[in-house]
Amino acid sequence: MKQYLAIIAMDIKLALRLRAVIFFNYLFPLFFFFGFATFLGRSDRIGGMVYVVTMSITFGVLGSGFFGAGIRAIQERELGILRRYKVTPITPLPLLVGSMVTGWIIFIPYIVLMLLMAHFIYQMPMPAHMFQLLVFISLGLIAFRSLGLVIASVANTMQEGTILVQLCYFPMIFLSGATIPEEVFKGVIKILHNFMPATYLVRGMRNMMLHGQGLLEKENLAAAGVMILTILGGGLISMKLFRWEKEEKIRGRAKLWVLVVLLPFIVLGALQWLHNK
Amino acid sequence: MNTQPVIAVQSLKKTYDKVEAVKGIDFQVAEGEVFGLLGPNGAGKTSTIEILEGLRPRTGGNATVLGFDPDRQKQQLKDRIGVCLQATNLPAKMRVQEALELFGSFYTRSISSEQLLKRLQLWEKRAAFYETLSGGQKQRLALALALVNDPQLLFLDEPTTGLDPQIRLEIHGLIEEMKSEKRTVVLTTHYIEEAERLCDRVAIIDEGKIVAMGTPRELQQQSKGQSRIDIICGQPMNAATLPQWPDAVESKLSEDGKSLTVHSSRPARTLFEIMKWLDQQGMQLEDVHLKRPTLEDVFVELTGKRLRD
Repeated sequence: MKQYLAIIAMDIKLALRLRAVIFFNYLFPLFFFFGFATFLGRSDRIGGMVYVVTMSITFGVLGSGFFGAGIRAIQERELGILRRYKVTPITPLPLLVGSMVTGWIIFIPYIVLMLLMAHFIYQMPMPAHMFQLLVFISLGLIAFRSLGLVIASVANTMQEGTILVQLCYFPMIFLSGATIPEEVFKGVIKILHNFMPATYLVRGMRNMMLHGQGLLEKENLAAAGVMILTILGGGLISMKLFRWEKEEKIRGRAKLWVLVVLLPFIVLGALQWLHNK
Repeated sequence: MNTQPVIAVQSLKKTYDKVEAVKGIDFQVAEGEVFGLLGPNGAGKTSTIEILEGLRPRTGGNATVLGFDPDRQKQQLKDRIGVCLQATNLPAKMRVQEALELFGSFYTRSISSEQLLKRLQLWEKRAAFYETLSGGQKQRLALALALVNDPQLLFLDEPTTGLDPQIRLEIHGLIEEMKSEKRTVVLTTHYIEEAERLCDRVAIIDEGKIVAMGTPRELQQQSKGQSRIDIICGQPMNAATLPQWPDAVESKLSEDGKSLTVHSSRPARTLFEIMKWLDQQGMQLEDVHLKRPTLEDVFVELTGKRLRD
């Protein structure tokens, strides 16, 4: 326990000392929040603001997962920082848990801040089930950090890691309904939309904020269950494939582990697609 | 006193794909000994030391370190040893004292960061970010991290490579302190003077094999090379009257006759005879130098290569 607490405390200090972390976790999503809230918050106050808040939170969750956890883990390996940890008696588990917990501790105040701003500045009603919403977002955040860590585990270089992150990040931003409303998706795009992991995060948040649903509603519960599976699967795979040094290369086919982590979302997407059909 | 070796290595092998980096080496390290692995880059020093630290699995042979098998009892072993890596890094925004406290938390036993910082002359820098430290300060911090669990066995992998001579001397001083505390130290280096000054015993390693092992003096004595004696006198010596010195292989007088160089296989005896002759001749001796073969000479003789090749 001493190791876990020390790593988490250190990770939080380091994160708060990095301008990039502050920028991507707070300033960048806030920029979108105020930018879109200025226009959409006026037209249809409740629906528009929920759309803006869920978009900003999704930006934050995906950024925290792919860049905050994934790219940072690759950087630490490439710079030889993990090599220093390797000579000590610790295992990868405290480092992986530390990354998850730190991301959560840094991100939760941002969500609360955004909900309060939406409520007090733009008159968005507070969610009916605030605690359940925070639990749902927390699961999403940890699931995407888990996915980020799996990408870090299978990428041999920063270049490979960046490509994998972009391949996941941009489709999720544009096809999950976070930025472009899902109502406009047709045909293949609609099918792809159902297979985007971020879709279930966005949909669940909107269900809870717009329709007053709780976490135990069928659709939200399914999404939460899939996120838990992703956290467990991603955690196990990150542990198994964890590499301390950049010289330890991983075989090309190991990249398929990313698909294994995404499997629960793929199954959920398939079920959704069959249901729509 | 414990007579069990701290490290025992038998027929140790390490292969990377088809490259044999370590080709079946044997050695033992006794408690309190400073043992050096000396060799050029790519000789197999780092592979050997990293197997013993539990960082890499061996391909063949046996090894025990503090009674642990480095392959099967990694965590227990890592808890008891200190390691200063050849190339390492810490997060740029981590403060010096924070690093010691963080790494100290990973071990079942650790010593106070304040004590370590003062001892390694980093107390003034305790609040500095890692990115602001100089090369020497970073290396001192790496040594402090290696000492954070108060280990009885330390592995120092090329601890002074790339540092300027002043800082290298500082690091040598710190290693001598560890030696005086009776800690066992395994040191890899390709600096001859480092091995000669710090090590009780040295294994010369080349292309994955140990080509010679012993105290630096024993290795120098094994050398077929001769010692060189340089004599400088106040008055010129007469070339015609110079005798044939016992055990001297070659002697040469400078143009002005004031400086004499003699190569000898038994320098003490030769030097004694020279001194006796100078006294008989009434010559005034101004300076005398005796240069024995270095470990570098031994290495060149054994491998046909220079250490920094």
